[in-house]
Amino acid sequence: MTARTTYLDKGVVSAMSALSAAAKRGLGDPALAELVMMRASQLNACAFCLDMHAEIALENGESPKRIALLNAWEEAGELFGERERAALALTEAVTVLTEGFVPDEVYERAAAHFDEAGLAHLIGVITVINSWNRLMVSRRIEPGGTFS
Amino acid sequence: MGYRARRVVAMTTTNEHTTATEDTTEYVHEHTPRLAWAQHAPEVFKAMIKLDAAARKGLDPVIYELVKIRASQINRCALCLDMHTKDALAAGESVERIVQLSAWEESQHFYTAKEVAAIELTEAVTVLTDGFVPDEVYERAAAHFDEAELTQLIAAITVINAWNRFGVSTRQVPGHYKPGDIK
Repeated sequence: MTARTTYLDKGVVSAMSALSAAAKRGLGDPALAELVMMRASQLNACAFCLDMHAEIALENGESPKRIALLNAWEEAGELFGERERAALALTEAVTVLTEGFVPDEVYERAAAHFDEAGLAHLIGVITVINSWNRLMVSRRIEPGGTFS
Repeated sequence: MGYRARRVVAMTTTNEHTTATEDTTEYVHEHTPRLAWAQHAPEVFKAMIKLDAAARKGLDPVIYELVKIRASQINRCALCLDMHTKDALAAGESVERIVQLSAWEESQHFYTAKEVAAIELTEAVTVLTDGFVPDEVYERAAAHFDEAELTQLIAAITVINAWNRFGVSTRQVPGHYKPGDIK
């Protein structure tokens, strides 16, 4: 498999990086940000993004077991906390937008665990990874990193 | 009062003026947004504005608005539809082409082959969870756009998908946008 194109305007790349940094900084929870980014990348089937964020998560001390079970987080018992579960449910709703809005119960569940600024930045992180997913999948950027 | 873009229920024409009679229809109450996300994440909002500006560079402005409208239809972002249909009309787009856009496959003769390729790519990149971006869709777009414009097109599709996610998840309210409100 080769990339369709590796080109992307420098202005777009730097604007994306700045957006990404602003959202993650505002959320202030790097471990959660990586879970969110891996889950959205699973749904959008972005190989490059999964490779990259699994690697970052492992380097940050995330457990291989939680990464392996992230795809089935709802059935993974105590492995994920209530705050993480609320964030993952919101991630799924905002990612699979075409199936119909973001349900009230999903939004309310997240709002119970995050204040308004936290929620705005969580939505920001979900949106940012959805953007990277689109930029990488459509250009078919290959996963390149080595697993730690 | 909520919804402002009233239907015109009657027109009175005198020698000098045409006046629309005020619509007194009882519409459903306007909802409020869930979250003023731009106020709570101002740095993110500013970064989105910059990204939007970077993504539209070098892309045909007519195609840019068609892409914005089509992605917003698929993602059902009411605020984004309000904004981009108004912007498109203000820029000279036809009502017919906007109305037919959600059925473009059956009204392809309203659009150029290049526009159709862009709309098709927009759908594939927007509905990513249905599985990748098909080779034939990508190749058709690549036949009409050079590499630089094609990647700007992908960036523009990505950015409207991002605005759609903010708009829908925080339930922004349509109806109040005026062309040129946001540059």
